[in-house]
Amino acid sequence: MIDYLIAILTFVAVGTLLGFALNVQWGQAGMLNFGLPGFFGIGAYAAAILSKHGVDGFTATAAAVALTAAVSALVSFVTIGLREDCLAISTVAFAEVVRLVLMNETWLTGGTNGIRDIPRPLLDVIGSNHYEAAFLAACLAIVAIVYGLLELVLRAPFGRALRAAREDDIVTATLGKNVQVLRIKAFVIGGAVIGLAGALHAFYFTYIDPGQFAGSVMIYALMAVIIGGKGSNRGLLAGACMVMMLLEGTRFLKEFIPILGSQQAASLRLMLIGGGLLLTLILRPQGLVSEYRLSIREHADPAAPPRREHRMDSA
Amino acid sequence: MAQALLNGVISGLLIALPAIALSLGYGVLNFANFSIGAMITCGAYLAYWINTSLGAPMLLAAPFAAIGLAAIAIAIQHGVYRKIEDGGHVTMLVASMGVAFVLENAVRLVYGADVRMLDVPVARPISWNGLRLNHEQLLIVVTASLALGAVNLLLKCTQIGRAMRAIADDPELAEVRGISRRRTIDATWAVSGSLTAMAGMLIALDGVVEPLMGWNYLVSIFAAAVLGGIGKPLGAFAGALIIGLAEETSALLVSTTYRQGISFVALILVLLLRPQGLFGKARIRG
Repeated sequence: MIDYLIAILTFVAVGTLLGFALNVQWGQAGMLNFGLPGFFGIGAYAAAILSKHGVDGFTATAAAVALTAAVSALVSFVTIGLREDCLAISTVAFAEVVRLVLMNETWLTGGTNGIRDIPRPLLDVIGSNHYEAAFLAACLAIVAIVYGLLELVLRAPFGRALRAAREDDIVTATLGKNVQVLRIKAFVIGGAVIGLAGALHAFYFTYIDPGQFAGSVMIYALMAVIIGGKGSNRGLLAGACMVMMLLEGTRFLKEFIPILGSQQAASLRLMLIGGGLLLTLILRPQGLVSEYRLSIREHADPAAPPRREHRMDSA
Repeated sequence: MAQALLNGVISGLLIALPAIALSLGYGVLNFANFSIGAMITCGAYLAYWINTSLGAPMLLAAPFAAIGLAAIAIAIQHGVYRKIEDGGHVTMLVASMGVAFVLENAVRLVYGADVRMLDVPVARPISWNGLRLNHEQLLIVVTASLALGAVNLLLKCTQIGRAMRAIADDPELAEVRGISRRRTIDATWAVSGSLTAMAGMLIALDGVVEPLMGWNYLVSIFAAAVLGGIGKPLGAFAGALIIGLAEETSALLVSTTYRQGISFVALILVLLLRPQGLFGKARIRG
């Protein structure tokens, strides 16, 4: 039971990191990155390949973060002028290309067989008995640190400028902010966090294959962000936990409906997740927690109501 | 080379069906429908079900699968998209991703992840001057051309087709002129559903039926629609031919596994250099 809890919490931690990243890129900057699984894969494969070649875990993680951030910079630099839906199309296509490379460049990635026996960092120091627990502790610490850093960044003038650019890029540009640079920075910050999540994923599972970096990751991250409330990192923590509860809760479906095979039960679970996403969009599109705003502004400036209130007016 | 060109035209015709559906949907509903790949898969499985479980020949299975998918598409419009219209086009786009996920896993729930084949007789390919064309490909050419002709007629010569184009052009003006938006949207989904079901069946005839079959065409479809100026169905047809030719002829240079990569490059180039599409006029973004 303890092992099960540890496994789930580790999974939640990695998922939360992905959610944070999507929250910066989409929630704060308004750049819908549908290619998240592709970036996640780049991070995981970078960490896995490097540590297979004898690089120690920390350097491999740092390299994975750097590589994912660099690729994010490149992708956002190329696509910066695109509208939100065109960006979504481009990033999906990008993730597909990443998946094709992972599947076909067998000399580097092991193809569809993936990479096995990825060495875990500090395994000889901690010992295999308590490794999972220690890994979880490390993941939780990382989540806390990333959360703190993101909150700092987003409450700084940078974060406000970013949200301003999301609401109206022309006004923001007129006020002297370089909107494109702001957006590229946000995309890179998100990319770095995705790379970190990828590295943790690789080290935790010690086995990766291209199938792990498919659309379902995107749906989980989207759902965590939407349930939590787009733009709010605090809400995201709740959102990620709820997605995990839904995922794990439905794991027992098989026992209630015995006619289902294990593969069918898995499909049914994923169907329920997708259905949950649609239901959230229909019933509570604003999510649980609204995004951070300066409290003075909320009372003093009725001319710029948060998006949430606007929805309530029209409903 | 000539064989590559022929294959390119055929695969272009294949991509044209969903690309037109996507473009039409984008024009009328104003959002990029990411579930188009899953709809293709669904259409193929519907045909598979009618063809193998009910034992009907493909000629009979085809119209029923098209009607079935059209009904499913309209049901999704009423159950999902219509309820979140106010959230804007990005919310609908996210929802379409959710719809894709549900559809794809519904297929997996019923049929599993196994690769399946339609029950069609095997025939020798036709040879002519060293060019090879198998019966499935011939069928693709005939069916796709008929479907494209029908869509063109529908858009140009019928009232509902004119209504679709009017709404795509200017929704408010269309509504003022007494065009029912709801009815036109339903009709658009019916057309999209039929076209994608048709594409699903043709892809299945040429290859296999499996849960990711539609997803694997997603990039090419989007590239074709964007190339033709997204929102313009006839442009999407031209875009699909270009993408088909580009993918097949590039197979002479790069490995065929990267044909989606060619589409990706084309997609990015067009979005960057001519976001209005190859044939569109530049417009000030409103």
